[in-house]
Amino acid sequence: MWPYILHRTAAALLTLAVASVLIFFFIHLIPGDPLYVLLGDVATPEQAERLRTKLGLDQPIVVQYLRWLANVAAGDLGNSIFFQMPVTRVIRDGAETSILLASITMIWITLIGVPIGVIAAMRRGSWLDQCLSGAAMLLASVPTFWVGLYLILIFAATLGWLPSSGYPSIFEDGGLANLRYLLLPSLALAAPNAALILRLTRASMLDVAREDYVRTARAKGIRPARVVFRHILRNALLAVVSAFGFTFAALISEAVVTETVFALPGIGQLVVQSILRRDYPVIQGIILVTVVLYLVINLLVDLSYRWLDPRIELQ
Amino acid sequence: MSVIWQRMSRGAAIAAAALFLSSQAMGAGILRYATIGEPPSLDVQMGTATIAATIGNHMFETLYAFDSHYKPQPLLATGEKIEDGGKQLVISLRQGVKFHNGQEMTADDVVASLKRWGEFGARGQLLMKNATSVQATGKHEVTLKLSEPNGAWKNMLAYPEGGPVIYPAGIVSAAGNKPIEPKDYVGTGPYKFGEWRPNRYVELLRFDGYAKLPAPGDGYAGARVANFDAIRFVPVPDVGTRISGVQAGDYDYAEFISGDLYDSLKANPAIRIHKNGAPLFGLFFMNSASGILKDNYALRRAIQTALKKDAALRVSFGPKDLWNADGSIYPKGSPWYSTAGTQAYNVGDAAKAKQMAKDAGYTGTPIRLLVSTNYQAHFDQATVFTKQLADAGINIQMIVVDWATLLKMRGQQDQWDIFVTHHGFVPDPILITFMNDSYAGWWKTPEKAKLVAAFTGTADPAQREKAWADLQALFYEQVPAMKVGDAYSYDIASRKLKGMGDSTVLWPHFWNVSH
Repeated sequence: MWPYILHRTAAALLTLAVASVLIFFFIHLIPGDPLYVLLGDVATPEQAERLRTKLGLDQPIVVQYLRWLANVAAGDLGNSIFFQMPVTRVIRDGAETSILLASITMIWITLIGVPIGVIAAMRRGSWLDQCLSGAAMLLASVPTFWVGLYLILIFAATLGWLPSSGYPSIFEDGGLANLRYLLLPSLALAAPNAALILRLTRASMLDVAREDYVRTARAKGIRPARVVFRHILRNALLAVVSAFGFTFAALISEAVVTETVFALPGIGQLVVQSILRRDYPVIQGIILVTVVLYLVINLLVDLSYRWLDPRIELQ
Repeated sequence: MSVIWQRMSRGAAIAAAALFLSSQAMGAGILRYATIGEPPSLDVQMGTATIAATIGNHMFETLYAFDSHYKPQPLLATGEKIEDGGKQLVISLRQGVKFHNGQEMTADDVVASLKRWGEFGARGQLLMKNATSVQATGKHEVTLKLSEPNGAWKNMLAYPEGGPVIYPAGIVSAAGNKPIEPKDYVGTGPYKFGEWRPNRYVELLRFDGYAKLPAPGDGYAGARVANFDAIRFVPVPDVGTRISGVQAGDYDYAEFISGDLYDSLKANPAIRIHKNGAPLFGLFFMNSASGILKDNYALRRAIQTALKKDAALRVSFGPKDLWNADGSIYPKGSPWYSTAGTQAYNVGDAAKAKQMAKDAGYTGTPIRLLVSTNYQAHFDQATVFTKQLADAGINIQMIVVDWATLLKMRGQQDQWDIFVTHHGFVPDPILITFMNDSYAGWWKTPEKAKLVAAFTGTADPAQREKAWADLQALFYEQVPAMKVGDAYSYDIASRKLKGMGDSTVLWPHFWNVSH
């Protein structure tokens, strides 16, 4: 087990290094300048040039990259050009929001997608299955911002049951009750993803149900419910689990539309705004963190295969 | 088993109820302001972002401040003596004014702030390039010596956006040309810096040591009473969410609402509309340094002749309440209002324009129009004008980029012929971007220099107004830029807010305001 993890860690570091080089050079290729964004419309070229020198942005790009890399190795992601504060602080707030939002969304997705997928598979062909599959198609096609805006309009503006936007941290006044700010956004985000998990669960269950051992189990007279849960679902989950892993990672980094609609201070919004502002240190920092996240999730997913199916050997 | 299940489900129900029913209000003493986005640095000397000024005005103050008639009144100053024909200004300062860190403001702080602003500030060069010295001539007196008189000096000292706000000497001298960091945001205003959580909010806290002026509050002048314990500026990029947030009671104030929602919001009893009393105006700058439009004033006039500006204004801003097609650079009611040259503003004659272009030697070469998509109004106006110019046989090639790219490209003289931006209301024409020779567009002609010298060389209001009228006439003759029209932005506020007045002077402010 440990040689496996070491081997994976070495591969991860290599991936990180390559990703950081690619991102660094790509974002510097985009035309545009963070200094004019910072200083505003009336800044003169002289003012911009002087600030450029002060911030070290006039160095050759390789020098800038190596300096950044050296800082990262020491745990310093640099200072945001736009915010004039450490990148770690800028990202930390966003990370809390995104992780919590993604986690709550995953709960909805699991609670909605998996059971309904199981029901649809077990009642395959019936009108129930067709209704559920149709509903899944509908949920998958509806745009998140439309769902989000309607949720705000109904539950916040009209009924007043829930707040419309924003997210105060759970470490602030209000504590865990602040999670209610994430209820509507997580529902909006869960809709299309739950549909996908539903379809995937259903398909995977139908595949596994055709296996010999399932027929054997039924022939042995095991109760149908037990067959479904212990024999079929447990094996069908293999395919679904890897989808979970990447859905979670994607929810963290790609929820930018939901974050914009609900004014959530998440990573998705932060990276898009930073690109528009050409805030290079923040973009690099977020990409780094996101790559690490994907690598960790990848590892956890692979480890979970081992738990779900003892026949699988980790190499 | 079933008992445990019962307990669990009951517990879950209680938790869910608690989530729903917990207090939604964040505390009555907090004002929550929904902004369109995150501000860049709040070191307002260094940049000109509107949102930075809106926030910064609560923390930092200038020597003078504009009242509701846009006349500068003493704020941190008490008065001035003008000597040597306007070349020497002796400004006396208020005593007993405290900074947020407890230090008393003295002449040294003012001198250090003016020096840094003059050298590195966004608009510093406008006043200070002719400053021969600025010195503390007493604990509460500052003397500014200019090589020639500048009639706009008081207006420039009173304008905080990119302007000479007063910081403590130690902080401002150490900062130099780098924007001051959040931990060093120290000013004299009624609110002090609390906390900045990126993408979440900027929070200001009431400053209990604020030295209030005795005169009643009038615009930005007079007494500033901080009624709120704290103000939170929350970035809410989606305009639908900003509106729903005010309706739901999550925000007290939301800025920059789009024109197409104006009519329905006006009818909404729960919401009050705040029109910005000072309009923005769109500007299409011509490249006077390079390219097909350099020196070809006749072609520029041909381009302007082809345009019917109301069409563009209607498309960009919607209801008639929110825009006005007026060629005067300043709106009616302002002392700078003038009709000089405005007969050329909104002609919209395609045939005449075509002839004028031909006479100017135009043979169909594409004219490059640089525009960004970040500001929808810019893009809408550019689209409308491109069509109107095509009808006049003038071939426009739109180069559409994002704002950061546009800012970079417009610094490169060979990359564009026209670029699109907008301009905020400024209380003195000297602050308008095209008055500066080195602002992109690079309008620098002997006629302009002569008229600008006449404009700044006197403090007599009547003479300045006449000089401005001449400048406006030159603006329509040499067309360094085309004015699109006046646009009135509007914000919305919860009915609970009291003391906001009917419309905003410059930027909304929340002293003398309460729930």
